[in-house]
Amino acid sequence: MNQPLIELTGITKILKGQEEPRTILDGVGLTVHAGESVAIVGRSGSGKSTLLSILGLFDRPDSGSYLLDGQEISRLPERKAAKLRSSHYGFVFQRFFLLKHLTAAQNVAMALVNGQGWLPRRQRRVRVMEALDLVGIAHLAKNRPTKMSGGEQQRVAIARALVRDPRVLLADEPTGALDTETGAAVIDALSAATHRGCGLILVTHDRDHAARMGRTLSLANGVLTETGRVHA
Amino acid sequence: MMRLSGRFRSSLIIGLQGIRARKLRTLLSMISLFLGVLAVVTVQAGASIAERALMSDVELQSGYDGTVVIDVMPHEKSPSIVSETVAGRNDAVSLIGTSAIIGEPGVSPINPGGAPFDQGAWGSTEICDNVGNCVPGPPTGEAIEVVLTAVAGDLLTFRPLRPVSGDWLAFDTVPSLAPKIVINEEAAKGFRDHQVPAEMRVRGAKANMTPQIVGVVHDGDYQPRAYVRQDELTNWMPTSSLIDPNFGGQITVMTSSGSPVEQVLQSRLRGAGAESYVNVVQNRKEMEKQLMLMRLIFLSMAGLVLLIGVAGILNVGLATVGERVEEFALRRAVGTPRTLLAGIVLAETMLTGLLTAAAAIGAGIAGLKIVSMVLGGSEPLLANVQFPWDAGVAGILAGIIAGVLGGFIPALRAAGIPIATVMRA
Ligand SMILES: Nc1ncnc2c1ncn2[C@@H]1O[C@H](COP(=O)(O)OP(=O)(O)OP(=O)(O)O)[C@@H](O)[C@H]1O
Ligand SMILES: [Mg+2]
Repeated sequence: MNQPLIELTGITKILKGQEEPRTILDGVGLTVHAGESVAIVGRSGSGKSTLLSILGLFDRPDSGSYLLDGQEISRLPERKAAKLRSSHYGFVFQRFFLLKHLTAAQNVAMALVNGQGWLPRRQRRVRVMEALDLVGIAHLAKNRPTKMSGGEQQRVAIARALVRDPRVLLADEPTGALDTETGAAVIDALSAATHRGCGLILVTHDRDHAARMGRTLSLANGVLTETGRVHA
Repeated sequence: MMRLSGRFRSSLIIGLQGIRARKLRTLLSMISLFLGVLAVVTVQAGASIAERALMSDVELQSGYDGTVVIDVMPHEKSPSIVSETVAGRNDAVSLIGTSAIIGEPGVSPINPGGAPFDQGAWGSTEICDNVGNCVPGPPTGEAIEVVLTAVAGDLLTFRPLRPVSGDWLAFDTVPSLAPKIVINEEAAKGFRDHQVPAEMRVRGAKANMTPQIVGVVHDGDYQPRAYVRQDELTNWMPTSSLIDPNFGGQITVMTSSGSPVEQVLQSRLRGAGAESYVNVVQNRKEMEKQLMLMRLIFLSMAGLVLLIGVAGILNVGLATVGERVEEFALRRAVGTPRTLLAGIVLAETMLTGLLTAAAAIGAGIAGLKIVSMVLGGSEPLLANVQFPWDAGVAGILAGIIAGVLGGFIPALRAAGIPIATVMRA
């Protein structure tokens, strides 16, 4: 079998709050292959976002190993982590996190104008328009987020996550703020990325959306267990 | 190189987006710094104008820094020795001071001893004969007494006498029998307030002369004084009697340092038994203490004002970063290195600082031009004022320092924002 895209083993995360330390993740294991999609479900406060921030190199685990393409990356210095975030990861959040003083195109271009390599303006424009086209809102390129619907804004955010053609797409309740129909369209846009070999990890409370992923994993008591798999 | 230029271009774009997104805030911080830098420029300009004023007043009387001044004690031989030594040289000038009464013949001057006019008449009037015996004289007539300085050489290269009207003495013409004189402002006052017939009496002269006044200068002297070409005066009297040791008088030679005049003159005077004292003009050194205090006061004023500008930028910078926490977290999430973000915050404040400083300097230059144009006519010191470039440099430095200080803390904060916390719904 080919090498997994992502391989987590024994990941723990202990939060040292005001009271006694609390173990949020207690030996999480997870394997994701290229082109695979995984849903993560769990009660509120179970640590899904915490797991995702470790997966996205926003945060570091207290112990355990994190392999990306077979390389250990759980203890990378911040400079290298930033570089990897730029080249390998795309993120979508429940809140869209668009900058309201920039147009849709500029918001997408933000992922290209990040000090990691340089694309001339014309090439940047081509990439941005491709990404916007992928999520079906190329015609809104010049609009500012304040003049867009929630679904449109979330698709701008997805275009921003896709513009560098990431290997891993991480989505934390991306449909949380959207109605069912718009939410479905957003899931469509995310799923489409897996056809190009991108791994997708989706945190969601929506059973229907979870069912559309290849597998569903449940996070409870700090461990991840498989609860469902579409076709064996 | 490519990597660097990519980072640089990225930060340029991000920085400009940031400034454009917060035009009002940027403007507000610019205003506070603008006023600060303008104040620094003004204070600096004021300091250097004041310094220049102080210097030029001193230079007016004692000569430029570095000038060698030889004071020659009155002695019967000294006028001739001085004249012979200085004659034909362009690196030395001699000034032989005697006194002259200009006015009606036989009338005692209204300001005996060449006193300043606004001090009123000194004592009662006297009449003095040629030997110097004075007796109480008839009522004051129309005559004034001035210090008469016989000049040989180009005085203006050693002392910055400022022309008020007319010309300075011309030395390239044949000496005239009617001596041309240039008077100072105090003497001009006397000529203005009193109807003085132009006849000049000088002790030791064979006859009275008819002087022509060709110009008025500002020489910083409070005594009425007239400058005359020595060769025009000696048409009427021998050089040796320019100074009468019994009545005193002043002989001064000014020369540039390193000129052989100093050595030659001293040894010749010594040979004749005349004393002389050499002194090198060091105005600046002597004024240093005074200037130091002035500088200190000005600098602390400027520093205070600058502090206000820094506080303004700091305030706006900190408020902005609070607002930008989300943007920074997001930019870091898409892979922007945090050193780059810190750099961008610094660059933004430095850019506003620099632009502001440039604007303030522009305003300073324009303001100075206007002031010197409008007030220059009545206040000669303000005429032709050049922009003090050290003030410009101080302004730019102030802008950069304010920018760096004001941007440093925000930049540190921006770099330290944890992504996960912000991105958690
Ligand atoms: N910065 C923090 N300081 C202290 N506790 C935190 C912090 N961040 C998260 N937690 C705690 O860690 C636990 C896991 O949080 P996390 O956000 O990962 O849960 P979640 O599964 O994403 O919940 P939800 O479904 O509501 O988004 C929660 O109990 C939360 O209170
Ligand atoms: Mg969450």
